[in-house]
Amino acid sequence: MSTLLTHIAISDGKIKRSSLEVLSHLRQQAEANGHDTEAVIIDQNASQYVDQVKEYGPSTIYTIEDPIFENHRNTPLLKALGQVMDEADPHVFAFGSTESTKDILGALAARQDAAVLSDVSEFELTDEGIKARRPVMAAKILSDSVAKGDKILVSVRSGSYDLDESSADSEVVNLDFSIDESDIKATLRDIIGADSDKIDLSEAETIVAAGRGAKDDEGQELINELASVLNAGIGASRALTEAGVMDPSLQIGQTGKVVSPQLYIAVGISGAIQHVAGMANSKVIVAINKDPDAPIFDIADYGIVGDLYKVLPPFIEELKKIKS
Amino acid sequence: MKFYVCIKQVPDVDAPIQIKDGNLIQDTDRMILNAYDASAVEEALVLTEEDDDSEVEVVLVGPDKAQETIRKALAMGADKATHIKTNGDENFDSGTYARILAKFFEDKEYDVISCGKQSQDTDAGLTGGMLAQHLDLPYATNAVGLELEDGNLIVKRQGDSGQEVIALPQPCLVTCSNDMNEPRIPSLKGIMQSKRKPMESVELEDLGLDESALQPKTEVTGYMEKPGREPGQKFEGEPDELAEKVAHLLDEEENVV
Repeated sequence: MSTLLTHIAISDGKIKRSSLEVLSHLRQQAEANGHDTEAVIIDQNASQYVDQVKEYGPSTIYTIEDPIFENHRNTPLLKALGQVMDEADPHVFAFGSTESTKDILGALAARQDAAVLSDVSEFELTDEGIKARRPVMAAKILSDSVAKGDKILVSVRSGSYDLDESSADSEVVNLDFSIDESDIKATLRDIIGADSDKIDLSEAETIVAAGRGAKDDEGQELINELASVLNAGIGASRALTEAGVMDPSLQIGQTGKVVSPQLYIAVGISGAIQHVAGMANSKVIVAINKDPDAPIFDIADYGIVGDLYKVLPPFIEELKKIKS
Repeated sequence: MKFYVCIKQVPDVDAPIQIKDGNLIQDTDRMILNAYDASAVEEALVLTEEDDDSEVEVVLVGPDKAQETIRKALAMGADKATHIKTNGDENFDSGTYARILAKFFEDKEYDVISCGKQSQDTDAGLTGGMLAQHLDLPYATNAVGLELEDGNLIVKRQGDSGQEVIALPQPCLVTCSNDMNEPRIPSLKGIMQSKRKPMESVELEDLGLDESALQPKTEVTGYMEKPGREPGQKFEGEPDELAEKVAHLLDEEENVV
Protein backbone atom coordinates (compact mmCIF):
# COMPACT_ATOMS: atom_id res chain seq x y z
CA MET A 1 0.00 0.00 0.00
CA SER A 2 1.36 3.38 -0.97
CA THR A 3 0.46 6.87 0.12
CA LEU A 4 -1.16 9.31 -2.28
CA LEU A 5 -0.77 12.81 -0.87
CA THR A 6 -2.62 15.97 -1.93
CA HIS A 7 -1.47 19.52 -1.24
CA ILE A 8 -4.37 21.69 -0.07
CA ALA A 9 -3.68 25.22 -1.27
CA ILE A 10 -5.11 28.17 0.64
CA SER A 11 -5.61 31.49 -1.10
CA ASP A 12 -7.28 34.59 0.34
CA GLY A 13 -8.50 32.62 3.35
CA LYS A 14 -10.17 29.89 1.30
CA ILE A 15 -9.26 26.41 0.14
CA LYS A 16 -8.62 26.42 -3.60
CA ARG A 17 -11.28 24.32 -5.25
CA SER A 18 -8.67 22.78 -7.54
CA SER A 19 -6.99 21.19 -4.48
CA LEU A 20 -10.25 19.50 -3.51
CA GLU A 21 -10.78 18.34 -7.09
CA VAL A 22 -7.35 16.71 -6.98
CA LEU A 23 -8.02 15.18 -3.55
CA SER A 24 -11.36 13.78 -4.81
CA HIS A 25 -9.65 12.18 -7.78
CA LEU A 26 -6.75 10.78 -5.76
CA ARG A 27 -9.11 9.24 -3.21
CA GLN A 28 -10.97 7.48 -6.04
CA GLN A 29 -7.65 6.28 -7.45
CA ALA A 30 -6.57 5.09 -3.98
CA GLU A 31 -9.81 3.19 -3.45
CA ALA A 32 -9.51 1.49 -6.83
CA ASN A 33 -5.89 0.48 -6.26
CA GLY A 34 -5.81 -0.21 -2.53
CA HIS A 35 -3.75 2.82 -1.53
CA ASP A 36 -3.94 5.35 1.27
CA THR A 37 -5.08 8.97 0.74
CA GLU A 38 -3.53 11.78 2.76
CA ALA A 39 -3.58 15.56 2.57
CA VAL A 40 -1.41 18.43 3.77
CA ILE A 41 -2.34 22.01 4.62
CA ILE A 42 0.46 24.55 4.90
CA ASP A 43 -0.81 27.95 6.02
CA GLN A 44 -0.65 30.52 8.79
CA ASN A 45 -4.06 29.20 9.93
CA ALA A 46 -3.77 25.63 8.66
CA SER A 47 -5.91 24.04 11.39
CA GLN A 48 -8.94 26.16 10.38
CA TYR A 49 -9.31 24.18 7.19
CA VAL A 50 -9.03 20.67 8.61
CA ASP A 51 -12.78 20.07 9.00
CA GLN A 52 -13.49 21.00 5.43
CA VAL A 53 -10.74 18.69 4.16
CA LYS A 54 -12.12 15.79 6.24
CA GLU A 55 -15.23 15.91 4.04
CA TYR A 56 -13.10 14.56 1.21
CA GLY A 57 -11.99 11.51 3.13
CA PRO A 58 -8.20 11.45 3.58
CA SER A 59 -7.02 9.04 6.27
CA THR A 60 -4.45 11.55 7.54
CA ILE A 61 -4.29 15.33 7.34
CA TYR A 62 -0.93 16.93 8.02
CA THR A 63 -0.89 20.57 9.05
CA ILE A 64 2.01 22.96 9.13
CA GLU A 65 1.00 26.22 10.73
CA ASP A 66 3.34 29.18 10.82
CA PRO A 67 2.98 32.96 10.31
CA ILE A 68 5.61 32.75 7.58
CA PHE A 69 2.96 31.24 5.28
CA GLU A 70 0.83 34.40 5.29
CA ASN A 71 2.07 35.11 1.76
CA HIS A 72 3.54 32.87 -0.87
CA ARG A 73 7.33 32.59 -0.46
CA ASN A 74 9.10 29.74 -2.16
CA THR A 75 11.93 29.05 0.31
CA PRO A 76 9.80 28.30 3.40
CA LEU A 77 7.15 26.53 1.33
CA LEU A 78 9.77 24.22 -0.19
CA LYS A 79 11.17 23.45 3.23
CA ALA A 80 7.70 22.60 4.57
CA LEU A 81 6.82 20.45 1.54
CA GLY A 82 10.10 18.59 1.89
CA GLN A 83 9.36 18.00 5.57
CA VAL A 84 5.92 16.57 4.74
CA MET A 85 7.39 14.32 2.07
CA ASP A 86 9.92 12.97 4.55
CA GLU A 87 7.13 12.33 7.03
CA ALA A 88 4.45 10.89 4.72
CA ASP A 89 6.76 9.27 2.16
CA PRO A 90 4.18 9.62 -0.62
CA HIS A 91 4.35 7.61 -3.81
CA VAL A 92 2.38 10.36 -5.53
CA PHE A 93 2.17 13.97 -4.34
CA ALA A 94 -0.48 15.93 -6.25
CA PHE A 95 -1.16 19.65 -6.49
CA GLY A 96 -3.75 21.91 -8.05
CA SER A 97 -1.92 23.91 -10.68
CA THR A 98 -1.80 27.44 -9.24
CA GLU A 99 0.86 30.12 -9.76
CA SER A 100 2.24 29.19 -6.33
CA THR A 101 2.46 25.53 -7.36
CA LYS A 102 4.19 26.48 -10.60
CA ASP A 103 6.72 28.44 -8.55
CA ILE A 104 7.84 25.45 -6.44
CA LEU A 105 7.12 22.28 -8.42
CA GLY A 106 10.40 22.07 -10.36
CA ALA A 107 12.53 22.92 -7.34
CA LEU A 108 10.69 20.40 -5.16
CA ALA A 109 11.16 17.66 -7.75
CA ALA A 110 14.90 18.39 -7.96
CA ARG A 111 15.23 18.55 -4.18
CA GLN A 112 13.43 15.21 -3.71
CA ASP A 113 14.86 13.57 -6.84
CA ALA A 114 11.26 12.93 -7.90
CA ALA A 115 9.69 12.48 -11.32
CA VAL A 116 7.32 15.31 -12.16
CA LEU A 117 4.54 16.07 -14.64
CA SER A 118 3.06 19.56 -14.56
CA ASP A 119 -0.27 20.99 -15.61
CA VAL A 120 -1.91 17.70 -16.56
CA SER A 121 -5.58 17.47 -17.46
CA GLU A 122 -5.95 13.78 -16.50
CA PHE A 123 -3.86 11.20 -14.72
CA GLU A 124 -4.14 7.73 -13.30
CA LEU A 125 -2.00 5.30 -11.37
CA THR A 126 -0.21 2.49 -13.15
CA ASP A 127 1.95 -0.34 -11.87
CA GLU A 128 5.07 1.70 -12.53
CA GLY A 129 3.93 5.17 -11.57
CA ILE A 130 1.40 7.39 -13.27
CA LYS A 131 0.30 8.09 -16.78
CA ALA A 132 -1.02 11.52 -17.57
CA ARG A 133 -2.46 13.51 -20.41
CA ARG A 134 -1.43 17.10 -20.94
CA PRO A 135 -2.14 19.75 -23.54
CA VAL A 136 0.98 20.80 -25.46
CA MET A 137 1.87 23.05 -28.42
CA ALA A 138 -0.24 25.91 -27.05
CA ALA A 139 -2.95 23.34 -26.20
CA LYS A 140 -3.47 22.54 -29.88
CA ILE A 141 -2.81 18.85 -29.24
CA LEU A 142 -2.59 16.43 -26.33
CA SER A 143 0.33 14.32 -25.22
CA ASP A 144 0.36 11.18 -23.12
CA SER A 145 3.23 10.89 -20.67
CA VAL A 146 4.37 8.45 -18.06
CA ALA A 147 6.29 9.19 -14.89
CA LYS A 148 8.09 6.34 -13.19
CA GLY A 149 9.65 5.84 -9.81
CA ASP A 150 8.95 5.80 -6.10
CA LYS A 151 8.31 9.50 -5.87
CA ILE A 152 6.12 11.31 -8.37
CA LEU A 153 4.89 14.88 -8.31
CA VAL A 154 1.96 15.95 -10.46
CA SER A 155 0.06 19.22 -10.84
CA VAL A 156 -3.45 19.22 -12.25
CA ARG A 157 -5.28 21.94 -14.16
CA SER A 158 -8.27 23.35 -12.34
CA GLY A 159 -11.62 21.99 -13.48
CA SER A 160 -10.15 18.62 -14.49
CA TYR A 161 -12.15 16.62 -11.93
CA ASP A 162 -15.47 16.89 -10.14
CA LEU A 163 -15.64 17.32 -6.39
CA ASP A 164 -16.56 14.08 -4.62
CA GLU A 165 -17.21 14.20 -0.90
CA SER A 166 -16.77 11.12 1.26
CA SER A 167 -16.35 12.16 4.85
CA ALA A 168 -13.77 10.41 7.02
CA ASP A 169 -12.61 10.67 10.59
CA SER A 170 -9.13 11.67 9.49
CA GLU A 171 -6.18 11.58 11.84
CA VAL A 172 -4.69 15.07 12.16
CA VAL A 173 -0.92 15.35 12.47
CA ASN A 174 0.53 18.76 13.28
CA LEU A 175 4.13 19.07 12.17
CA ASP A 176 6.42 21.55 13.91
CA PHE A 177 8.05 24.01 11.57
CA SER A 178 10.75 26.57 11.97
CA ILE A 179 12.96 28.48 9.60
CA ASP A 180 15.55 31.17 10.23
CA GLU A 181 14.86 34.40 8.39
CA SER A 182 18.57 34.32 7.51
CA ASP A 183 17.98 31.12 5.54
CA ILE A 184 15.47 32.92 3.36
CA LYS A 185 17.66 34.87 1.00
CA ALA A 186 14.77 36.30 -1.01
CA THR A 187 12.81 39.16 0.53
CA LEU A 188 9.15 39.73 -0.26
CA ARG A 189 8.87 43.50 -0.40
CA ASP A 190 5.37 44.13 -1.59
CA ILE A 191 2.28 42.66 -3.15
CA ILE A 192 0.63 44.88 -5.71
CA GLY A 193 -2.96 44.70 -6.82
CA ALA A 194 -3.99 41.81 -4.62
CA ASP A 195 -7.73 42.21 -4.29
CA SER A 196 -9.45 39.53 -2.28
CA ASP A 197 -12.94 40.67 -3.37
CA LYS A 198 -12.21 39.79 -6.94
CA ILE A 199 -13.71 36.60 -8.37
CA ASP A 200 -10.94 34.02 -8.78
CA LEU A 201 -10.82 33.32 -12.53
CA SER A 202 -9.43 29.82 -12.13
CA GLU A 203 -12.53 28.87 -10.17
CA ALA A 204 -15.20 31.13 -11.73
CA GLU A 205 -18.42 29.56 -13.08
CA THR A 206 -18.85 32.37 -15.58
CA ILE A 207 -16.21 34.55 -17.21
CA VAL A 208 -16.60 37.62 -19.36
CA ALA A 209 -13.36 38.23 -21.23
CA ALA A 210 -12.50 41.42 -23.04
CA GLY A 211 -10.20 41.80 -26.03
CA ARG A 212 -8.80 44.55 -28.16
CA GLY A 213 -12.29 45.35 -29.45
CA ALA A 214 -13.37 46.45 -25.97
CA LYS A 215 -10.36 48.60 -25.25
CA ASP A 216 -11.98 52.01 -24.64
CA ASP A 217 -13.91 53.26 -21.61
CA GLU A 218 -17.30 52.51 -23.10
CA GLY A 219 -16.23 48.95 -23.90
CA GLN A 220 -14.86 48.47 -20.38
CA GLU A 221 -18.09 49.78 -18.89
CA LEU A 222 -20.15 47.32 -20.92
CA ILE A 223 -17.86 44.45 -19.88
CA ASN A 224 -18.24 45.40 -16.22
CA GLU A 225 -21.99 45.62 -16.54
CA LEU A 226 -22.28 42.25 -18.30
CA ALA A 227 -20.05 40.63 -15.66
CA SER A 228 -22.10 42.15 -12.87
CA VAL A 229 -25.40 40.84 -14.31
CA LEU A 230 -23.94 37.33 -14.58
CA ASN A 231 -21.89 37.51 -11.36
CA ALA A 232 -18.97 36.65 -13.59
CA GLY A 233 -15.22 36.96 -13.25
CA ILE A 234 -13.61 39.39 -15.68
CA GLY A 235 -10.74 38.24 -17.85
CA ALA A 236 -8.74 39.75 -20.67
CA SER A 237 -6.75 38.85 -23.72
CA ARG A 238 -3.05 39.63 -23.79
CA ALA A 239 -3.72 42.63 -26.05
CA LEU A 240 -5.55 44.39 -23.21
CA THR A 241 -3.22 43.52 -20.34
CA GLU A 242 -0.21 44.53 -22.43
CA ALA A 243 -1.82 47.83 -23.32
CA GLY A 244 -2.23 48.43 -19.59
CA VAL A 245 -6.03 48.63 -19.93
CA MET A 246 -6.58 45.67 -17.62
CA ASP A 247 -4.61 44.16 -14.76
CA PRO A 248 -2.05 41.50 -15.80
CA SER A 249 -3.52 39.03 -13.30
CA LEU A 250 -6.66 38.93 -15.46
CA GLN A 251 -4.88 37.61 -18.54
CA ILE A 252 -6.28 34.35 -19.88
CA GLY A 253 -4.20 32.20 -22.21
CA GLN A 254 -1.02 30.22 -22.58
CA THR A 255 0.91 32.91 -20.70
CA GLY A 256 -1.78 33.76 -18.20
CA LYS A 257 -4.49 31.80 -16.47
CA VAL A 258 -6.03 28.59 -17.77
CA VAL A 259 -9.75 28.60 -17.07
CA SER A 260 -12.63 26.17 -17.48
CA PRO A 261 -15.89 27.91 -16.55
CA GLN A 262 -19.41 26.79 -17.41
CA LEU A 263 -19.87 29.89 -19.55
CA TYR A 264 -17.16 31.94 -21.28
CA ILE A 265 -18.15 35.07 -23.13
CA ALA A 266 -15.38 36.42 -25.37
CA VAL A 267 -16.04 40.03 -26.27
CA GLY A 268 -13.95 41.64 -28.99
CA ILE A 269 -11.41 38.81 -28.82
CA SER A 270 -10.11 37.53 -32.14
CA GLY A 271 -9.06 34.15 -30.71
CA ALA A 272 -5.32 33.79 -31.25
CA ILE A 273 -4.18 30.26 -30.37
CA GLN A 274 -2.34 31.56 -27.32
CA HIS A 275 -5.64 32.87 -25.93
CA VAL A 276 -7.62 29.79 -26.94
CA ALA A 277 -5.04 27.64 -25.09
CA GLY A 278 -6.32 29.16 -21.87
CA MET A 279 -10.06 28.85 -22.37
CA ALA A 280 -10.87 26.07 -24.86
CA ASN A 281 -12.05 23.78 -22.06
CA SER A 282 -14.92 26.10 -21.12
CA LYS A 283 -18.27 24.31 -21.29
CA VAL A 284 -20.15 26.91 -23.34
CA ILE A 285 -18.32 29.55 -25.33
CA VAL A 286 -20.01 32.68 -26.67
CA ALA A 287 -18.09 34.98 -28.99
CA ILE A 288 -19.05 38.51 -29.93
CA ASN A 289 -16.90 39.98 -32.69
CA LYS A 290 -17.48 42.19 -35.67
CA ASP A 291 -15.07 40.24 -37.88
CA PRO A 292 -16.99 37.22 -39.23
CA ASP A 293 -13.69 35.49 -40.00
CA ALA A 294 -12.27 35.85 -36.47
CA PRO A 295 -10.85 32.45 -35.40
CA ILE A 296 -12.76 32.65 -32.10
CA PHE A 297 -15.89 31.68 -34.06
CA ASP A 298 -14.28 28.32 -34.90
CA ILE A 299 -14.49 27.25 -31.28
CA ALA A 300 -17.55 29.21 -30.10
CA ASP A 301 -20.83 27.41 -29.45
CA TYR A 302 -22.67 30.64 -30.11
CA GLY A 303 -21.15 33.35 -32.24
CA ILE A 304 -22.62 36.78 -32.70
CA VAL A 305 -21.17 38.67 -35.63
CA GLY A 306 -21.60 42.29 -34.77
CA ASP A 307 -20.33 45.46 -33.17
CA LEU A 308 -20.03 44.83 -29.45
CA TYR A 309 -21.27 48.35 -28.70
CA LYS A 310 -24.51 47.51 -30.47
CA VAL A 311 -24.80 43.89 -29.29
CA LEU A 312 -23.92 44.17 -25.61
CA PRO A 313 -26.57 46.70 -24.46
CA PRO A 314 -29.56 44.59 -25.62
CA PHE A 315 -27.74 41.40 -24.52
CA ILE A 316 -27.30 42.82 -21.02
CA GLU A 317 -30.95 43.97 -20.92
CA GLU A 318 -32.20 40.55 -21.99
CA LEU A 319 -30.03 38.76 -19.42
CA LYS A 320 -31.31 41.12 -16.72
CA LYS A 321 -34.87 40.14 -17.65
CA ILE A 322 -33.97 36.44 -17.56
CA LYS A 323 -32.21 36.76 -14.21
CA SER A 324 -35.02 38.73 -12.55
CA MET B 1 28.09 41.92 -14.19
CA LYS B 2 27.73 38.50 -15.72
CA PHE B 3 24.33 37.45 -17.00
CA TYR B 4 23.69 33.97 -18.31
CA VAL B 5 20.50 33.35 -20.27
CA CYS B 6 19.48 29.74 -20.91
CA ILE B 7 17.65 29.43 -24.21
CA LYS B 8 15.97 26.65 -26.15
CA GLN B 9 15.04 26.03 -29.74
CA VAL B 10 11.40 25.01 -30.07
CA PRO B 11 8.91 24.36 -32.86
CA ASP B 12 6.79 27.35 -33.80
CA VAL B 13 3.40 26.65 -32.25
CA ASP B 14 1.78 28.81 -34.92
CA ALA B 15 2.91 26.39 -37.64
CA PRO B 16 0.54 23.60 -38.74
CA ILE B 17 0.93 20.45 -36.67
CA GLN B 18 0.64 16.90 -37.95
CA ILE B 19 0.30 13.74 -35.93
CA LYS B 20 1.07 10.42 -37.54
CA ASP B 21 0.75 7.12 -35.63
CA GLY B 22 0.98 8.96 -32.34
CA ASN B 23 4.11 10.82 -33.37
CA LEU B 24 4.40 14.53 -33.79
CA ILE B 25 5.61 15.48 -37.26
CA GLN B 26 7.51 18.72 -36.88
CA ASP B 27 8.46 21.03 -39.67
CA THR B 28 12.17 21.50 -39.08
CA ASP B 29 12.07 24.73 -41.06
CA ARG B 30 9.83 26.24 -38.43
CA MET B 31 12.10 26.04 -35.40
CA ILE B 32 12.44 29.25 -33.40
CA LEU B 33 13.85 30.80 -30.26
CA ASN B 34 11.38 30.02 -27.46
CA ALA B 35 9.35 33.23 -27.02
CA TYR B 36 9.77 33.27 -23.23
CA ASP B 37 13.54 32.85 -23.60
CA ALA B 38 13.55 35.72 -26.11
CA SER B 39 12.05 37.91 -23.40
CA ALA B 40 14.76 36.76 -20.99
CA VAL B 41 17.46 37.69 -23.55
CA GLU B 42 15.83 41.08 -24.18
CA GLU B 43 15.63 41.88 -20.47
CA ALA B 44 19.25 40.87 -19.86
CA LEU B 45 20.32 43.21 -22.68
CA VAL B 46 18.25 46.10 -21.32
CA LEU B 47 19.49 45.64 -17.75
CA THR B 48 23.15 45.56 -18.77
CA GLU B 49 23.23 48.13 -21.57
CA GLU B 50 24.51 50.98 -19.35
CA ASP B 51 27.33 48.92 -17.91
CA ASP B 52 30.34 48.41 -20.20
CA ASP B 53 31.83 45.72 -17.98
CA SER B 54 28.78 43.55 -18.18
CA GLU B 55 28.48 40.48 -20.30
CA VAL B 56 25.45 38.54 -21.49
CA GLU B 57 26.12 34.94 -22.42
CA VAL B 58 23.49 32.58 -23.80
CA VAL B 59 23.60 28.83 -23.18
CA LEU B 60 21.70 26.34 -25.27
CA VAL B 61 21.40 22.58 -24.93
CA GLY B 62 20.45 21.10 -28.28
CA PRO B 63 21.50 19.64 -31.62
CA ASP B 64 23.65 21.36 -34.29
CA LYS B 65 20.54 22.70 -35.96
CA ALA B 66 19.87 24.81 -32.87
CA GLN B 67 22.90 26.97 -33.63
CA GLU B 68 20.65 29.16 -35.75
CA THR B 69 18.74 29.97 -32.58
CA ILE B 70 21.97 30.82 -30.76
CA ARG B 71 22.86 33.16 -33.66
CA LYS B 72 19.49 34.84 -33.27
CA ALA B 73 20.22 35.60 -29.60
CA LEU B 74 23.70 36.86 -30.53
CA ALA B 75 22.18 39.02 -33.25
CA MET B 76 19.81 40.51 -30.69
CA GLY B 77 22.94 41.60 -28.80
CA ALA B 78 24.16 38.85 -26.50
CA ASP B 79 27.97 38.91 -26.27
CA LYS B 80 28.81 35.25 -26.47
CA ALA B 81 27.36 31.78 -26.39
CA THR B 82 27.90 28.23 -25.27
CA HIS B 83 26.34 25.39 -27.21
CA ILE B 84 26.03 22.14 -25.26
CA LYS B 85 25.63 19.64 -28.05
CA THR B 86 23.15 16.81 -28.12
CA ASN B 87 22.14 14.49 -30.94
CA GLY B 88 18.63 15.84 -30.87
CA ASP B 89 17.01 12.42 -30.73
CA GLU B 90 17.32 11.95 -26.96
CA ASN B 91 14.14 11.86 -24.93
CA PHE B 92 15.31 14.45 -22.43
CA ASP B 93 12.73 15.82 -20.03
CA SER B 94 12.88 19.01 -17.96
CA GLY B 95 14.86 17.19 -15.28
CA THR B 96 17.54 16.09 -17.74
CA TYR B 97 17.98 19.60 -19.12
CA ALA B 98 18.20 20.99 -15.59
CA ARG B 99 20.88 18.45 -14.59
CA ILE B 100 22.90 19.19 -17.73
CA LEU B 101 22.71 22.95 -17.15
CA ALA B 102 23.52 22.53 -13.44
CA LYS B 103 26.67 20.63 -14.35
CA PHE B 104 27.64 23.35 -16.82
CA PHE B 105 27.19 26.11 -14.23
CA GLU B 106 28.97 24.18 -11.48
CA ASP B 107 32.32 25.93 -12.04
CA LYS B 108 31.03 29.18 -13.56
CA GLU B 109 30.82 32.58 -11.96
CA TYR B 110 27.77 34.71 -12.53
CA ASP B 111 25.47 37.29 -11.00
CA VAL B 112 22.21 36.28 -12.63
CA ILE B 113 20.98 33.22 -14.51
CA SER B 114 17.73 33.74 -16.36
CA CYS B 115 15.53 31.74 -18.70
CA GLY B 116 11.97 31.70 -20.00
CA LYS B 117 9.34 30.59 -17.51
CA GLN B 118 8.38 27.68 -19.74
CA SER B 119 9.02 26.48 -23.23
CA GLN B 120 6.21 27.14 -25.63
CA ASP B 121 6.05 23.62 -27.02
CA THR B 122 5.67 21.64 -23.78
CA ASP B 123 4.56 24.39 -21.38
CA ALA B 124 6.04 22.35 -18.53
CA GLY B 125 7.65 25.29 -16.72
CA LEU B 126 9.90 23.16 -14.55
CA THR B 127 13.51 23.58 -15.67
CA GLY B 128 14.17 26.99 -14.09
CA GLY B 129 13.11 25.96 -10.59
CA MET B 130 15.01 22.69 -10.90
CA LEU B 131 18.18 24.50 -11.93
CA ALA B 132 17.88 26.95 -9.02
CA GLN B 133 17.53 24.01 -6.64
CA HIS B 134 20.56 22.19 -8.06
CA LEU B 135 22.67 25.34 -7.79
CA ASP B 136 21.16 26.31 -4.43
CA LEU B 137 20.28 29.79 -5.70
CA PRO B 138 17.50 32.09 -4.50
CA TYR B 139 15.02 32.30 -7.35
CA ALA B 140 11.72 33.64 -8.60
CA THR B 141 9.53 32.43 -11.44
CA ASN B 142 7.07 34.10 -13.81
CA ALA B 143 8.79 37.50 -13.67
CA VAL B 144 6.95 40.33 -15.41
CA GLY B 145 9.53 42.99 -14.53
CA LEU B 146 13.20 43.12 -13.48
CA GLU B 147 15.39 45.84 -11.99
CA LEU B 148 18.92 45.92 -10.62
CA GLU B 149 19.62 47.47 -7.23
CA ASP B 150 22.92 47.26 -5.28
CA GLY B 151 23.64 43.57 -5.55
CA ASN B 152 19.97 42.64 -5.66
CA LEU B 153 17.77 41.66 -8.54
CA ILE B 154 14.31 43.10 -7.94
CA VAL B 155 11.73 40.81 -9.47
CA LYS B 156 8.10 41.63 -9.99
CA ARG B 157 6.35 38.28 -10.45
CA GLN B 158 2.77 37.48 -11.25
CA GLY B 159 1.40 35.48 -8.34
CA ASP B 160 -2.03 33.95 -7.80
CA SER B 161 -3.78 37.16 -6.84
CA GLY B 162 -1.35 40.02 -7.18
CA GLN B 163 2.14 40.92 -8.29
CA GLU B 164 4.78 40.01 -5.75
CA VAL B 165 7.85 42.25 -5.54
CA ILE B 166 10.82 40.16 -4.46
CA ALA B 167 14.43 41.18 -3.82
CA LEU B 168 16.84 38.39 -4.74
CA PRO B 169 20.46 38.77 -3.61
CA GLN B 170 22.87 37.90 -6.40
CA PRO B 171 23.80 35.36 -7.53
CA CYS B 172 20.25 34.33 -8.25
CA LEU B 173 18.00 32.81 -10.88
CA VAL B 174 14.86 34.18 -12.47
CA THR B 175 12.40 32.81 -15.03
CA CYS B 176 10.75 35.32 -17.32
CA SER B 177 7.26 35.80 -18.68
CA ASN B 178 6.85 37.18 -22.18
CA ASP B 179 4.77 39.95 -20.61
CA MET B 180 7.85 41.84 -19.45
CA ASN B 181 8.95 43.25 -22.79
CA GLU B 182 8.81 43.06 -26.56
CA PRO B 183 11.98 41.27 -27.71
CA ARG B 184 13.90 43.31 -30.29
CA ILE B 185 14.15 42.15 -33.87
CA PRO B 186 17.84 41.81 -34.77
CA SER B 187 19.16 44.58 -36.98
CA LEU B 188 21.17 43.84 -40.10
CA LYS B 189 24.25 45.07 -38.24
CA GLY B 190 23.41 42.77 -35.34
CA ILE B 191 23.09 39.83 -37.70
CA MET B 192 26.46 40.62 -39.32
CA GLN B 193 28.14 41.00 -35.92
CA SER B 194 26.62 37.79 -34.60
CA LYS B 195 28.70 35.79 -37.07
CA ARG B 196 31.91 37.02 -35.46
CA LYS B 197 30.82 36.59 -31.85
CA PRO B 198 32.37 33.71 -29.88
CA MET B 199 30.38 30.52 -29.67
CA GLU B 200 31.91 27.73 -27.68
CA SER B 201 30.78 24.18 -28.30
CA VAL B 202 30.75 21.69 -25.47
CA GLU B 203 30.16 18.00 -26.03
CA LEU B 204 27.71 16.53 -23.58
CA GLU B 205 30.26 13.83 -22.66
CA ASP B 206 32.80 16.50 -21.72
CA LEU B 207 30.61 17.81 -18.93
CA GLY B 208 31.27 14.59 -17.02
CA LEU B 209 27.67 13.80 -16.20
CA ASP B 210 26.81 10.38 -14.82
CA GLU B 211 24.84 8.16 -17.13
CA SER B 212 22.03 8.16 -14.57
CA ALA B 213 21.80 11.96 -14.67
CA LEU B 214 20.90 11.76 -18.34
CA GLN B 215 18.08 9.30 -17.75
CA PRO B 216 14.73 11.08 -17.91
CA LYS B 217 12.20 10.20 -15.22
CA THR B 218 9.26 10.97 -17.48
CA GLU B 219 8.56 10.05 -21.05
CA VAL B 220 6.07 11.13 -23.69
CA THR B 221 4.41 8.01 -25.05
CA GLY B 222 2.27 9.56 -27.76
CA TYR B 223 0.42 12.51 -29.17
CA MET B 224 -3.16 12.85 -30.27
CA GLU B 225 -5.56 15.35 -31.71
CA LYS B 226 -7.68 17.19 -29.23
CA PRO B 227 -11.29 16.15 -29.38
CA GLY B 228 -12.63 19.06 -31.40
CA ARG B 229 -15.49 21.23 -30.26
CA GLU B 230 -18.68 20.64 -32.20
CA PRO B 231 -19.11 23.43 -34.71
CA GLY B 232 -21.35 26.02 -33.10
CA GLN B 233 -23.94 28.40 -34.44
CA LYS B 234 -22.90 31.73 -35.86
CA PHE B 235 -25.51 34.45 -36.08
CA GLU B 236 -25.48 37.55 -38.24
CA GLY B 237 -28.12 40.23 -38.49
CA GLU B 238 -29.85 42.80 -36.30
CA PRO B 239 -27.90 43.19 -33.02
CA ASP B 240 -31.07 43.45 -30.90
CA GLU B 241 -32.50 40.23 -32.25
CA LEU B 242 -29.22 38.34 -32.05
CA ALA B 243 -28.61 39.46 -28.46
CA GLU B 244 -32.09 38.37 -27.45
CA LYS B 245 -31.80 35.03 -29.23
CA VAL B 246 -28.43 34.10 -27.74
CA ALA B 247 -29.41 35.20 -24.23
CA HIS B 248 -32.40 32.84 -24.39
CA LEU B 249 -30.33 30.00 -25.81
CA LEU B 250 -27.91 30.33 -22.90
CA ASP B 251 -30.81 30.23 -20.48
CA GLU B 252 -33.09 27.63 -22.04
CA GLU B 253 -30.73 25.33 -23.99
CA GLU B 254 -27.58 25.54 -21.90
CA ASN B 255 -28.86 26.54 -18.50
CA VAL B 256 -25.72 28.55 -17.78
CA VAL B 257 -27.05 32.00 -16.86
